[in-house]
Amino acid sequence: MNPETYILIVDDDPDVLEGILAILESQPYRLATARDGMKCMEMVAEEVPDLLILDLLMPRMDGWGVIREMRSEPRYASVPIMVLTTVVEDASRRRYELETGMAMDVQEYVEKPVRPDELLRRVERLLAGHG
Amino acid sequence: MAENASLYPVIAERLSRSEIFRELTQDDLVAIAEFCWEENHHEGEALRVEGDPADRMYIIERGRIALEKRVQLGRHSTPRNATVGYVGPGKAAGFSTLTHKQTYSTSAVCVEPTRVIAVDGQSLRDYLQTHPDAGVKVMTTLADMISDRYRHAIDTLTYFLSIVSHELRSPLAAVENYLNTIIGGFVGDLNAKQERMIQRCILRVTDLRAQIGDVVDLARMRGEQIQADFEWFDPGEAGSESIEDIRMAAAEKNICIRVEPPQTFEPIVGARRRIRQVLTNLLNNAIRYSPEGSSVTFRARYEPDALIFQVEDEGPGIPPEDLPHIFKDFFRASNIQDTTGMGLGLSIAKKIIEAHRGQILVENLDSDVEGRTGACFTVIIPRDLMTPEMRRREWAAEDN
Repeated sequence: MNPETYILIVDDDPDVLEGILAILESQPYRLATARDGMKCMEMVAEEVPDLLILDLLMPRMDGWGVIREMRSEPRYASVPIMVLTTVVEDASRRRYELETGMAMDVQEYVEKPVRPDELLRRVERLLAGHG
Repeated sequence: MAENASLYPVIAERLSRSEIFRELTQDDLVAIAEFCWEENHHEGEALRVEGDPADRMYIIERGRIALEKRVQLGRHSTPRNATVGYVGPGKAAGFSTLTHKQTYSTSAVCVEPTRVIAVDGQSLRDYLQTHPDAGVKVMTTLADMISDRYRHAIDTLTYFLSIVSHELRSPLAAVENYLNTIIGGFVGDLNAKQERMIQRCILRVTDLRAQIGDVVDLARMRGEQIQADFEWFDPGEAGSESIEDIRMAAAEKNICIRVEPPQTFEPIVGARRRIRQVLTNLLNNAIRYSPEGSSVTFRARYEPDALIFQVEDEGPGIPPEDLPHIFKDFFRASNIQDTTGMGLGLSIAKKIIEAHRGQILVENLDSDVEGRTGACFTVIIPRDLMTPEMRRREWAAEDN
């Protein structure tokens, strides 16, 4: 596993962030967090992550907005995105399609809460697929 | 009744300021004033109680009253009063006195010192019947008021559901996330007692999240919504996921899940996530009512025109008098005392299966045969359902 693998985790709930960090810190990833979509895009502009773990309902810019921005900028378009949210998948995909007219291009959709082993497995799979 | 006839015009003038009587003529108002009287109530005093005969209507002049509805979830919980709205000056309360059944649909409690004009219900009904012009005006206003209150109720429900679905689920997810992180050993070792307590916390929180999901689901469980999600899927996968959903609850009671699958699973059309929900509900139900260390059998088989799932437990079975009600909202069987849950799982399962034009059936295992008790739930899903895309294509073909 590449120790320089950089994962950006975006969630407005500090407790969720801390829990996810505690799980991912068990692996040699480089981790960073953001509390809203605007901050997320600023950080992505500074350094493109190898994986984005993204909540949907957030202040300033929500997760759907982040997906839209990520997919419309060629530099970030191929960054794998794992949505991690309490929003039900069908409703979420429908909302994205209605707003953008496009299918929601994310590689994983996980409804919270996720079990630690499951999270690690999915993260690893996404990173492997990407590499 | 107003004791002094000289007061009638004064009361009539006060009635004319109320929403419900404001369209009436002076003559009508004076006539109605004859069977009105003033009442003063303290804060906390109940004007009327839900379910009592509606014998008077109240026009609020000063202060405020809360309309309260008795709420009881499940059979064993304590009934509580929930405030469903407030009525202030100029408004009327207790208009059930003019609608059929004439029993109060809510209780009314003064939340401030309150002055009202009470109107005798029987006299008002008699007057409106013999004076149809006044009757039409009052009833028209009443219809507007009821329709406003109905709209308000729908808005409240929608708001409530959105709060429930996100605002309550989010903190729960955070708690579950922490618990899973702790139990996974990511923040240090636990002793056996700590581990057991955290396991229990996870189970209880998971249960609570499922119950919140059930309440939200029940409110938006409409056939056409479910049918919009129809797709081809592997029912074997949905079944495996359901087993995964209940794995921990089964382990907790040392219950063995015996799986009897068909030789091969063939894809069917249906709402995949919803079918998984039905199977998880049935399995959870079976585990909940099964004794420790017993078995739950989960089987699936194909008939030419249907896929059939069965979940069979070794619990006490369902009392025969409860069998006809088992799929109703908030129903819990009378022979279970200390298991948690609100009794929504089965009614949700039935709604989902009906949206699939299928059937969900329940029977008690015959204790004379093999000498054991238990309940068996059967789900029948037709194999000729169509995805929205297939339906569109069929319509297009018909049009041509």
